[in-house]
Amino acid sequence: MPSTPSTIGDFAILPLSIPPLPAFPQHAIHYLYVRRNAPKMPTATDARSLFLTNVPVDSTESHLRAVFTTLVGAGRFEGATFEDERKDAYSQGAQSPIDAAQPAHAAKLLQAHGKKRKREDEAAAERAREEEAARLPSTWTRPLRRSGSTAVVLLADEKSVEQVLKAIAKTHKTKKYPAWGGGSGSGGLKIPPLGSVWLKTHNRLSYPDSATLQASVDAFSTLFARREQEAAEIAKRLRNEPDEDGFVTVTRGGRSAPASRNEAEEAKRKMLAKQEKKKEELTNFYRFQLRERKKEEQAELLRRFDDDRKKLEAMRVKRGKFVPEA
Amino acid sequence: MDSAPAKRRKLDHAPDGAELALESAASTGVSRSRAFVLEAEELLDSVRLDYATALEGADGLLHRTKNAIEAIKPHDALPIVQAASKLEKRHKIKVPFPNPPPPENSNYKVAFAKPSQFNVVGSYVSKTMVKTQKGHGVDMVIVLPEEILQEKDYLDLRYFYKRAYYLATVTAAVRKELGGDAQLSYEHLNGNPLCPILAIQPTSTEAEGTTKTDKKGVLDFRIRILPSAPDGFFPKSKLHLGASLVRKGADDDSTATGEPTTFYNSTLVAEGAFFPYLKFLRQAEKKCGGFRNACILGRLWLQQRGFGGDISQGGFGHFEWAVLLALLLQGGGSKGGAALSSSLSSTQLFKALIQFLSVTNFAEKSCVLGAGNPDLESYVESTPILYDSARQLNIAFKMGPWSAALLHQHAKWTRSLLANPTADQFSPTFIFKADVPSLSFDLIAKLDIDSVSTTTGADYRGFTWQVGQKVYRTLRRALVDEEMGQRARLIHIQPPSSGTWSLTEESDAGTRAPIEIGILFDPTNMARTVDRGPSAGPSAEEKAECEEFRRFWGDKSELRRFERDTIRETLIWASTTPFGLCEEIMRYIIGRHLRIGQLDDELTVYGDALPSILALKPADTTLFNAAKNAFGTFERDIRGLEELPLRVRQIAPICPELRHASIKPPTFGSSKSGPQPLECVISFEASGKWPESLAAIQRTKIAFLQMIGSLLKTNKPDEIKTHIGLEDAQHETENLAFLDVIYETGPAFRLRVHSDLEEILLERQVKDKAAEQYLRQRATTLLATFRRLYSNLPLHNQYITTCTTRFPALSPTTRLIKHWFNAHKLSYHFTQEFMELATLHVFLSPHPWDAPTSPSTGFIRTLLFLSHWDWRSEPLVLDTSGEMPNSERTAIATRLEAWRKIDPNMNHTVLFVATAQEPSGTAWTTLNGQAKPSKVVAARMSSLAKSASRLIRDAGLELDYRRLFVPSLKDYDALIHLNPKALKSMLKTYSTIHPEDDDNEENDPNRRATKFKNLDVHTGLDPLPLAQHPADLFLEHLSTAYSGPLVFFRGGADDTTIGAIWNPQVQRRAFRINLLGSYKPAAGKQRNRVKGGEDEDGDDQEGESELVDINKEGILAEIARIGADLVEKIEVKGA
Repeated sequence: MPSTPSTIGDFAILPLSIPPLPAFPQHAIHYLYVRRNAPKMPTATDARSLFLTNVPVDSTESHLRAVFTTLVGAGRFEGATFEDERKDAYSQGAQSPIDAAQPAHAAKLLQAHGKKRKREDEAAAERAREEEAARLPSTWTRPLRRSGSTAVVLLADEKSVEQVLKAIAKTHKTKKYPAWGGGSGSGGLKIPPLGSVWLKTHNRLSYPDSATLQASVDAFSTLFARREQEAAEIAKRLRNEPDEDGFVTVTRGGRSAPASRNEAEEAKRKMLAKQEKKKEELTNFYRFQLRERKKEEQAELLRRFDDDRKKLEAMRVKRGKFVPEA
Repeated sequence: MDSAPAKRRKLDHAPDGAELALESAASTGVSRSRAFVLEAEELLDSVRLDYATALEGADGLLHRTKNAIEAIKPHDALPIVQAASKLEKRHKIKVPFPNPPPPENSNYKVAFAKPSQFNVVGSYVSKTMVKTQKGHGVDMVIVLPEEILQEKDYLDLRYFYKRAYYLATVTAAVRKELGGDAQLSYEHLNGNPLCPILAIQPTSTEAEGTTKTDKKGVLDFRIRILPSAPDGFFPKSKLHLGASLVRKGADDDSTATGEPTTFYNSTLVAEGAFFPYLKFLRQAEKKCGGFRNACILGRLWLQQRGFGGDISQGGFGHFEWAVLLALLLQGGGSKGGAALSSSLSSTQLFKALIQFLSVTNFAEKSCVLGAGNPDLESYVESTPILYDSARQLNIAFKMGPWSAALLHQHAKWTRSLLANPTADQFSPTFIFKADVPSLSFDLIAKLDIDSVSTTTGADYRGFTWQVGQKVYRTLRRALVDEEMGQRARLIHIQPPSSGTWSLTEESDAGTRAPIEIGILFDPTNMARTVDRGPSAGPSAEEKAECEEFRRFWGDKSELRRFERDTIRETLIWASTTPFGLCEEIMRYIIGRHLRIGQLDDELTVYGDALPSILALKPADTTLFNAAKNAFGTFERDIRGLEELPLRVRQIAPICPELRHASIKPPTFGSSKSGPQPLECVISFEASGKWPESLAAIQRTKIAFLQMIGSLLKTNKPDEIKTHIGLEDAQHETENLAFLDVIYETGPAFRLRVHSDLEEILLERQVKDKAAEQYLRQRATTLLATFRRLYSNLPLHNQYITTCTTRFPALSPTTRLIKHWFNAHKLSYHFTQEFMELATLHVFLSPHPWDAPTSPSTGFIRTLLFLSHWDWRSEPLVLDTSGEMPNSERTAIATRLEAWRKIDPNMNHTVLFVATAQEPSGTAWTTLNGQAKPSKVVAARMSSLAKSASRLIRDAGLELDYRRLFVPSLKDYDALIHLNPKALKSMLKTYSTIHPEDDDNEENDPNRRATKFKNLDVHTGLDPLPLAQHPADLFLEHLSTAYSGPLVFFRGGADDTTIGAIWNPQVQRRAFRINLLGSYKPAAGKQRNRVKGGEDEDGDDQEGESELVDINKEGILAEIARIGADLVEKIEVKGA
C-alpha cells in the first residue's frame, strides 16, 4: 500500500508489521485502530485508557505491552482487557458458576434483598475466593480473539495517552511500524505458544487429575448448598414479614413440602385420562355431531383437492418438472 | 304454510358449485392419486407435439415419394441374382438381402409391379408421438402386389429376398426423385435383420431454407418406407410358431423335420399384419376416449426404462403397448368379457396395464389373448409369448426372455410405487431415467464374442443374439437356481443395436459386437461361498439329479459331507465379496459352456471399482461386530456396579462406529494415536434428587462420572482405566464433562450422563417469557443439543443398526457416501447422521427401482438423489416407522413451509430432514443453533452431486470412478496445508511428563509439562485419550474466529488440506467498530457517502464514513501464527 491514512473517523490507525512465517512468507501489515476510551458508561480509568478495535486474533496482554513499549517506551503500559473478557465482566451470571446455578427464585430474592445487607470488602473477597475454588480448571493455555474484536488498554497516566497517540502519528511519517511478535525477546511473561503445542496442551488440560476435579466439585456443592440455604431463609423471612405497605410477598414453599414431581405428573396424567374418557363417551352421541363431522370431512377433502391444484400450479411455474429426463 | 317452503328448501336444495367440486374430488379418490392424475395431465400437455409445425413438410415428402414409386416401370420376372447385379450396376445400389443371401445358382425369380397399396401407419397417424422420444419416424407401408409373389414364398427366405429386391428398386426410384433434398439410407425394421427398410431423412438446410431459425418446433424426422406382404396372402396355418420353414439343403418337403423357426415365422405373420393392426388400433381409439393418452403415457414409461420396439431395446415398445392395451379392452377378462372397461380414464388404463404386466411374465408362461386356446406352452422355452389369437401373431416375438423378465420386474416396481399412497408417484414413474446400466445393475459385464465358434441355429436375429441367448440360459441356470437359493434377481442381456447403413454397402448385422450382461444381485444369497447341490443318495432319481448337476458344473462339483450325515454335490467358491463370487461363477460357467470368458479381455466386468476405492471388505462387518461386543461388555460392567445410588436404565451407543456407518471400521489399540473413545450416553431411573439448577446438575453429573470411574477401577483394576475429561464448554449450564473408559484390550468408551430434570428446566427457560432474549436463545440451543444427544441419537443409532441388517448394502453405501463428502471437503459442514439418512432414503424409497443391492448402485443412486433433491422447497422425509400416516407427512411439509416463511434467506434452517422418530426436521441439520450445512455449502453439495451424476451417465461403463472423488482444489481462494507430521504427533499426549523434562527434551517440544506426579512411570506410557481430534479443534477455532470473512472446507480426520473461500458478501464497506473480520483502510482514500451513517454505532458523529477493505494478507498471516508448526504452507489462489 503506497500511503496509509493516519486516521479513520476519530480513530488513529496503528499499522503493525507482521513478520513473515515459513508457512506464509509474505510481509503483511495489520491495522489496529486506536482512540481514547469513551464508553457509554464512564468509569474512573477512562482518562488513561485507550480503546482498540480490530485486534489480532492471537493478541495477549504481552503482545500489546510489547507494541506500546516500542511506541512510548517501557513502564507506561498497565494492562489490557479484551472484548470477550469484558463481556463476561458485564454479565456476571455467565462467569460465576454459582449465580448460574442458583434456583431462579432464590436468585431473585437475593437480588431484591442483597442491597440491604451491604457486604464488606472482606466478605466480597471471601465470596470470590470460594467461587474461584468451585470453578473448573481451564482447558486452554491462551484464548483466541474473534477477528475484528476490541480491547481496552490501561496506561500509567493521562500523559501516556497523549504520547501514544503522538507516537502513532509519527510512525506514519517514519514508516517504522511496530512489529507484532509478543515481545518474545523482551523480558515479559512467557507467552504459551500456539500451534500443535497449544492443541496438545489443551488435550492434556482436558483431563485434569481427579483430586483437583473432586475439590472443585466439592467446593461447588458446599457453596451451592449454602446459597440455597440462604435463599430459603430469606424466603422464609419474607413469608412472615409484611413490607412497608403492609403486603406479604407470596413466595414459593409453604408449610408443607411441595408435592414431588412424580406425583404431580401422575395426577396430571390421571386427570387427562379422565377428560379423554369423558370426551370419547360424548363423541358421535348426538346426530348433529355426526353431521358436523361429515361436513368437516368434506371440507377437508375439498381443501386437499385445492391444495393439490395449488401445488401443481407451483410446479408448473418451475416447469422443468414435467419433461421426462433424456 | 310459511314454514313449509323453508323446510323443503333445506331438504332438497340443488347442488351448488361447492358440492359439484366436492363430487368431482371425491370421485377421483384420495388426494395423492388425484395429484398423480393432475400431474399426468400436465405431462401429457407438455410432451404433446404440434404436428403441423413439428413435422412440417412430411406430407409433401410423402406425396413425392408415393408418386415416384408409382411411376416405376414394372418389369417381368428375372432370376434374382441377375436382377440384383443389374440394379447394382445401373443405380449403384446394393440389394439389402438378409443373411444368408440367395445362392448364386438360385432359380428364384423376381419381378416388379406397382404396390397394391400405400398407407401411412404408426404413431404419426395415431398422433401418439411425444417430444422426447429419440427419433421421430413417419412410417409408410407399401404392400407388395400379389402378382409378383407366390404362395410358397413363405419358405426358405424367398419372400424376404423378393422384399429386399423390391425395396432396392423403390430406393432407386425415390433417390432419383428426391435427389439432394433428402438423405437415404437402409436400416432394419425394429432391428430385425430379415426386414430391411428405407429411411428418408430430409436435408434440413434445403428443406427449411432461410426460415429455419424462426421455426422452433420443427423436429428432425424421418420417413421410413416399409415394404410388406399383402394381408392374408400366406396361409396363417403354415406359419404357426412350431413350423420349420427354412429347410436349406434339405430336399424333402415335409414340414415336420427341422427345428422350429419361431422368429422367422412370427416375422412373416407380422409382415402381413400392418393393416389389420392399423384397423384394430383405430377401433380401440374410437371406442375408448382415454386410449390415446394411455398410449402416450405407456410410451413415456417404456422410454424412461429403455424399452422400445427395437430388438436391442427389448422388443416391447409403443406399438406392442398399444396392441396389448387394445386387446385388453376387447377381451382377456373372465368369462370372455373385456378385461378393461373403455370408460376408464387414461391414467386408470395406464395403471391397469402396469398391473397386468406385473402379474404376467411372458417368458415364463405363455399369455394368449382373444378367442381360441392354442397350446403354445411348449414354445415358451424359445421365445416369450404374448399371443394375439385373432391375428395369430406372437406380439412378443422380438423380445428375449431377459427383456420379458426386465419388463415384468419394472412393472412390479412401478406397481408397488403406485400402490404406495404416500410416496411421490409421478416422478419415478415418468420423469426419472431408469435405464442407466450402472444405476440398475450390480454387476455389468462385457463379453467379447469374437472367439465363439459359430453355432448353426435356426434363428435369424443374428449371431450375437444366439450367443446372447446361450449365455442367458447358462447364467440363469447357474445364478437363479431355486434349489440352492437364487443368487441373482435379474439377468439382463443387452445385444448391440443395429444402426443405419448406406445404400451402397452391406448391412453390418453380421458383425460380432460384444454383448453386455447386467446382473442384479440378491445380496444375501450372492454372498454364499458354498453351494449345496442335490444330495448324493442311492436312488436312481437322486443319481440322475447328481449326474445332471455334474454335467452342468463340471469339475467344480465335488462331494462333501454336511451335518446330519448328508452328502451333497457341492460347489466351493474362493471369492469373498458378492461381486467377486458372481464374477468367479460367471467366468467359470461361461468358460465351461461357451469356451470364452476366462481371459480378462474377453469378459470385462464393471461395478466393483467403487468398493475398491475405499477397500471395503466383507471382514469389516466382523470389526463392527467386535466393537459392538466390546460395547456389550462395557454395558455389563456398568450395570454390574451395585454401589451406584441410582439404577441404570439404559446405556446407548451414539457414534457411527457402533452403527456400522463409520468410514473406517473401528480398530482398537492403534499405536498411532491416543485412544479415540466411542461415544455413549447413560441414563438412570427417574429421581427427584437432582438439584433444581442447570449448573448444579452439570456438577452432579461430574460427581456421578467420578463415582462410576472409581467404581469401575476398583472392580476391574487391571483391565480398566478411566479419565474424566472436560468439555470445551462456554457456559456453566452446558454439559461439562465426560468419562473415558479405556480397556486394556483396546476398546475405549466415552460416557455422558443424561438427567431428565435438565430437559424440564431447559424447556421451562425456553418458555419463560420474562427471561432475556439471549438467555432464551441460549436455552433453545442447549435444549436442541440435549435432545439430539440423549434422545435422538440413541434412537438413530438403534434404527440404523436395524436397517444395516435389513439391507446388507446399506453399510458399505453409507461409508462410500461419507467418503465422497470427505473427498470434496464437505463433511466438516454435514452431520454424520445427515449423510446416513440421505443414504438410507435411497433404500427406503428406491423408486423407480427396488432397494439397492450393492454399494455401487446404492452410491450412484444416492448421488442421483442428492442431485435431484430440491431442498429449498422439499423436506426429506424418511418413513422409518414403516407406516407414517399421511397427516404426518403433511405436517412435516407444513413445518418446512413455515420455516421458509420465517427465514426466507435460510440463515437458520437449510436442509430439512424428518423421520418418524424425529419429525421436527432440524435435529440433524443444525448444530449449536447454526445451520449445518449453510445454504452456500448445501448448494455446493447439490452442484457437486449434479456434476457427478452427469459424469456417471455420460461416461457410462468405462468411467474411472476415482474421478468422482477428486476434489477440485482450484475452487478455493486459499488452501491451508497442514503438516502431517505435526498432526500425527498431536494424536498422542501424556499426562505424566514432568515440567523439568520439558527442557531436557528440547528435541521433542511437544511433550509438555505437567504438575501431577501421582501416577507412576508405567501408566505414564499410556497416551491420554483424545478429547477431540486436534485438527477438528483447530478448524473449529478458525471458524469461530473468522465466522464472517471466511468459509472453511475440510474432509475427514486425515485430510491435511483445508480449503477456504472468502465470503463474497464481505467487500469494501464503511468502517465501524466490531466489524466481522480484520480490515484495512481502503486504498482509494475515503469517500463521503450519503447514507454512510446507517449502520454506525453512533461512534462516528460526522455522518460520513471511511471505507475499509478486508485485510486478506493480515488474516492469512494470523492463521499461520495460530497454526504455527501445524500449518506447513498457506497457498493463495492466483499468487
